[in-house]
Amino acid sequence: MTAVLQILFDALSVGSIYALGALGIALIFGVMRLVNFAHGDYIAFCVFAMLWPSLDVVAIVFIGNLPWFLLIPVILGIGAGLSIISEILVFRRLRDANPATMMITSFALGFVIHNVLLMFYSSRPKAINLWSNLSLPVEIMGARIPLLQVITIVMTIVILLALVTFLRRTQFGVEMRAAAEDFTMARMLGVKANRVIMAAFGVSGALAGCIALILATQTGVADINMGLPVMLVAFVATVIGGLGSLHGAVIAGFLIGGVSVLLQVFLPLEARPFRDAFVYSAVIASLLWRPQGLFAPKSSKERV
Amino acid sequence: MSTTKHPSVLAQTVSTPVILIGGLALIAVLTWAFGSNIFGRTVTEMFIRVALVVGMFTFIGNSGVISFGHAGFMCIGAYGSAWLTIPPMMKKVLLPGLSPMLANAELTFFLSLIIASLFAGVIAFAVGLILMRLSGIASSIATFAMLAVINTIYSNWGPVTGGTSSVVGIPITTGVWISFGGAAAAVVIAYLYGISRSGLALRAGRDEAVAAAASGVDIYRERLIAFTISGALCGMAGVLYAHFLGVVNPDAFYLGVTFISLSMLVVGGMSSLSGAVIGVVLISAIIELLRKMEKGITVGEGTLSLPNGIQEIAIGVVMIVILMFRPGGLTGGAELSLTRTRANDGYSKKDQGSGNHPDNKPRR
Amino acid sequence: MELKSTLTAITVAGSIAFSAGAALADDHEIVIGMATAQSGWMQAYDKPAREAALIRIEEINEAGGLMGKQIRVVEADTKTDRAEGAKAGLEVLDGGAEMVVVSCDYDFGAPAALAAQAAGKISFFLCAESIKAGIPGVGPDSFSASVLAAVQGATMAEWAYQTKDARSFYVLLDTWIEYNKGICDGFDWMAPRLEEAEVVGRDTFVNDDASVAAQITRIKSLPEEPDAIMLCSVMPGAPSVIKQIRAAGINSMILNGSGVDGSYWLDSVPDLSNFYVPVQGSVHGDDPDPRVEEFNVKYAEKFGARPATQYTYPGYVLIDVWAKAVERAGTTETKAVVAELEKMTDEPTLFGPRTFTSELHHQNRARYHIVEVNDGKPGIVDSWTISESIPLDALLK
Repeated sequence: MTAVLQILFDALSVGSIYALGALGIALIFGVMRLVNFAHGDYIAFCVFAMLWPSLDVVAIVFIGNLPWFLLIPVILGIGAGLSIISEILVFRRLRDANPATMMITSFALGFVIHNVLLMFYSSRPKAINLWSNLSLPVEIMGARIPLLQVITIVMTIVILLALVTFLRRTQFGVEMRAAAEDFTMARMLGVKANRVIMAAFGVSGALAGCIALILATQTGVADINMGLPVMLVAFVATVIGGLGSLHGAVIAGFLIGGVSVLLQVFLPLEARPFRDAFVYSAVIASLLWRPQGLFAPKSSKERV
Repeated sequence: MSTTKHPSVLAQTVSTPVILIGGLALIAVLTWAFGSNIFGRTVTEMFIRVALVVGMFTFIGNSGVISFGHAGFMCIGAYGSAWLTIPPMMKKVLLPGLSPMLANAELTFFLSLIIASLFAGVIAFAVGLILMRLSGIASSIATFAMLAVINTIYSNWGPVTGGTSSVVGIPITTGVWISFGGAAAAVVIAYLYGISRSGLALRAGRDEAVAAAASGVDIYRERLIAFTISGALCGMAGVLYAHFLGVVNPDAFYLGVTFISLSMLVVGGMSSLSGAVIGVVLISAIIELLRKMEKGITVGEGTLSLPNGIQEIAIGVVMIVILMFRPGGLTGGAELSLTRTRANDGYSKKDQGSGNHPDNKPRR
Repeated sequence: MELKSTLTAITVAGSIAFSAGAALADDHEIVIGMATAQSGWMQAYDKPAREAALIRIEEINEAGGLMGKQIRVVEADTKTDRAEGAKAGLEVLDGGAEMVVVSCDYDFGAPAALAAQAAGKISFFLCAESIKAGIPGVGPDSFSASVLAAVQGATMAEWAYQTKDARSFYVLLDTWIEYNKGICDGFDWMAPRLEEAEVVGRDTFVNDDASVAAQITRIKSLPEEPDAIMLCSVMPGAPSVIKQIRAAGINSMILNGSGVDGSYWLDSVPDLSNFYVPVQGSVHGDDPDPRVEEFNVKYAEKFGARPATQYTYPGYVLIDVWAKAVERAGTTETKAVVAELEKMTDEPTLFGPRTFTSELHHQNRARYHIVEVNDGKPGIVDSWTISESIPLDALLK
């Protein structure tokens, strides 16, 4: 029983970060039909925002020294700010462009951010010591799970519920969805569409800041590539979960984490290096079974 | 009822590949006559990339599905040619897991090129049988998943592929003219496919899926054909690349090359062959210019140079700016042509990125 | 007519003088080419070793030069791009390089090295630790200035066994890059030779895995905590794994390769203890050889900061052994210098002895200092040379 519980906890540990990442990507996708490939670089940017730019090998911790009740809002704010600036400077002009153009533009933006970080911080990973007591495990019924993961899971679920309520029940949220569906019409109906879309980007950026804090705490390292694996899986999870479905993306994130852990536990040693090949084959299988996503809203099924 | 004979599609559009190949040939001649050894390598790399992006266009441009997986076929072609051309003595040591037939093979470059490209095409066909059922973004994600699977397999199947270790000993045979030949061949094949029944049907399916299906177009079959051909072309690009560098490694065929080539395609204009070629040539030229500026230009007594690392930032900014002002890419879906005919104007407005927004009128 | 012939005469005279000048320049200097990464992510690793090489060149020049001639360096940036690397190699060769120094990593240094090999010049990898960096992967005129990854794994295994009485080992391999596999291959070669040693389990992970929870569970479910965990990993993932291992309450010795040397990352895992890596020289100021600390100080004066990791040192060794071979051969001609290099057996250098043979242009045995991290502080505790050299066929498997 403990072994099963431990596997479950391990799966949740891996999946929680993917789920939170998927939420950020799914939000922008659901609202803007944009897959934001720069999301991973927003995450890296937020982590490095805690350090003073320097090519030195040892990190000069700057903002990272703030106490937690200041650090969290500051980093979330930096994430939101970066995201909003990207919207104003780059994505606003491309609102109706075809998906390929938006994807490539977001990739180019991410590429620029990545190389700016490289130029100011060098590629050598730097050490960050952030709330390391959170990595200590909590024991529940004999199985271990790090406290940080518990916090991540709880946070993901809370944020998910908050976002869903916000989008469905509040006026601002409804305006957001309207602006995404038909920008011109929404404006004619009195929606301050630009503001609303900026808000969507802001929230997504803040989520990137969240992930940045969690990754920095978990790994203890600031590396310019650190957002990439999370973003790739988040991207996949968003699609598997069903485009336009926030809770679908979150569940899919946990699922991918779960499958990855199950494979790590049960594959024989020789096959274990190929674990990711199995995970991605499972992704393909899921898409073949339900191409519109596991939890897609009924309206989004493609007709042809 | 009209009695005038319309010129065939071939006659109407053949000027496009002629112009494109002519332009590339001009670059090749100038490089061969005046360029240094080093510049020749830059141009060779560009031609290889033309072959790759044109190969990608064959599927992406005609079907409208963005595929992230074509670098996987480049990988398959490159390693395939490596298996066939590395001296057997080296293979025995470095790749002990190869089957005896492969381990003892030592073919000429051209034979290996054809076999490895066809092999990549066969794999594309097999994978396409499964993936082409999907549409839209699900299809795109599936191709990304395919790339990840290929990359994981090649990175970890040590005895056969060398794993994450580079495979060496590939004879270096790709120079300016061979790579030009590869690029020209890709343009010709892509063009011929584009004007074939299958190509036209696929484009119909891209633009108006419901109407095309109602007219009897089997989108699945046409996509499969396009995917197979584009897989073979990308495999060919991979072979050229392997014989250019002399070493191959799985991470040269993963995210980096995927995104730079997709960027070149989209910036040039995703739905046109001219866009594919122009995108590669233009972006490569800008990158090279920026690199020269990083190295420094002598101005009078001193050297003017940009800090190292600026080239990457600048090219990203350039691409963003181009796409902001021309969301459909530089060509916007049109082809370079000597004749202005209706046959080529039939690209949907979706590709030009104009949409409904009143502020976003196409710039013509 | 008069003017034209005068101009012609001046031009001809000028070009003769110029080329004579150039030829004179050749006789008065030796050119070394450096095709390394000055931008892109590899730069963080190439730069320190390259700077150490420049220090040695400066020392030689100040002492009168090599065979009486001053050494001049021509450089080209590989931009951490393989195709660009090949061009960088060609560029420095065009600049007259007699020997080409290439990147710290086999994959990124090979294109330039292959260009040098094709031009009949010696290529030297700054600090590549793959067996391919040399004859198998480039050609008969290629060398590496560092030590094979496998030696690191073998050294840690034997040292832990003999000195710390470690008997049960757990192998955790990071499959991300070849270097990691090299370390574990060396470990696997040595382990059967240690009579009472037992490998109680193995597992793999990939460097950027978000969490290694499942791998840790596997270790925890062993009947007894293993004496030592052989972790074959590098930055940036290694500190994260170490952190998670310790957070789960696993207190076994953790052994790794030189890739995790340095104190700059120790903030990631505060108060780390019982962690060991092998190094060629100490960056922490406590090397048994005082000249190493002199080098560290000199490096800091010249480049603004002390060396961050031991990967700075092979750059110095590179120039050192090559220059010695040139002096002994009396020429920079490739074949003669290669012959002298291949005669070197336990040639003393500032950072350990070096041996090259006609079959192996790399080190399959080395004197390593063992660094222990205790309570977050690193320091040398021992030195070790493996009892037998790792044979070539074990390395090439």
